[in-house]
Amino acid sequence: MLDKLFRTGKVEKKVIEKIKKYIHLLCNSADCLLNTFKNYDLEGTYCVGNFEREADIIKREIISLIYEGAFLPYIRPNLLRFIEILEKAFDNLKHLSSNFRYLNLNLYKKIEEDCSKIAFMNTEICQILLLAFESLEKDNLREKNLAIRIYEKKIDEIKLDLIEKLKKLEIQNFWDGKILSDFLELLTSFSDIIEDASDHLHILELSLK
Amino acid sequence: MSLKVKHIMNTKLETIHPEATVYDAIERLIDKRIRSLLVLPKDERDVYGVVTVRDIVFKVLAKNLNPHQIKVENIASKPVISIDKETELLDLVNLMEKFNIARLFIQEDRKIIGVVSLLDVLSAVLIERAKNKI
Repeated sequence: MLDKLFRTGKVEKKVIEKIKKYIHLLCNSADCLLNTFKNYDLEGTYCVGNFEREADIIKREIISLIYEGAFLPYIRPNLLRFIEILEKAFDNLKHLSSNFRYLNLNLYKKIEEDCSKIAFMNTEICQILLLAFESLEKDNLREKNLAIRIYEKKIDEIKLDLIEKLKKLEIQNFWDGKILSDFLELLTSFSDIIEDASDHLHILELSLK
Repeated sequence: MSLKVKHIMNTKLETIHPEATVYDAIERLIDKRIRSLLVLPKDERDVYGVVTVRDIVFKVLAKNLNPHQIKVENIASKPVISIDKETELLDLVNLMEKFNIARLFIQEDRKIIGVVSLLDVLSAVLIERAKNKI
């Protein structure tokens, strides 16, 4: 189906390649964050900001190309919306990385295993989104969407357990509690954003039929 | 299906003591929204068991017995069917089909370390399919 998208010209093909690169950067960003969680590497968290800056440049190029006239008018808003959702995912990772720097290590150690599991699933879900975008070409989006929903449900289940664990933790400082709570909210909402993006791909697919 | 059991097993096990009442088990199953509980061994010579919603409905409620008076150990299935964490997914599925069971426990050094349900298998296979390039 991507064929149908860029059949009209080189500019469309350029946009598609840039969107793929944009999603790829998001995956790299999620992967980098997973490694920093595993190694408790605070310096490593800055990679997320670097990827985001790189992604920002690509986003501007994509938007410019679309405004210059790439794609039929009825497709443009859907593509732009898709990019906006991905931008939200980048923001989520950026806030997550800065939150991680301020976490109380002792508190984090108590939930580290579950957090790493979620971070790993976030990288997986991101890779599947990339495949989903590429699979628009083959009308094979449904299976990718389902896999994303499965991961999202798994993360929701872990989140419920984590909330139970958090309730038992003794928090002695307001900011420790707030940062930990924000951290978990950001960590577990990444999959929701990716699910939104995947739903939007489905809308895009329908609009192309 | 080149996946192994260790990749998809759920390590969060809900357990219950064999001397707890069936009503205790019902409460746990409802609160946790799950369908089975791992029954812990009574002593070192005992083995793990499993009590499922099926056991409770067919062996207690359908017979009009009082769940407050019956102990979990009286209705639990023992021993549980367990496998090694290195087992291939296909072998796991074959075992589930052979014994007509919906979940298999993972054992390591005589200790149960995880469980895999049919839904876990389904999810894992679907994710693997989705990961296949296009």
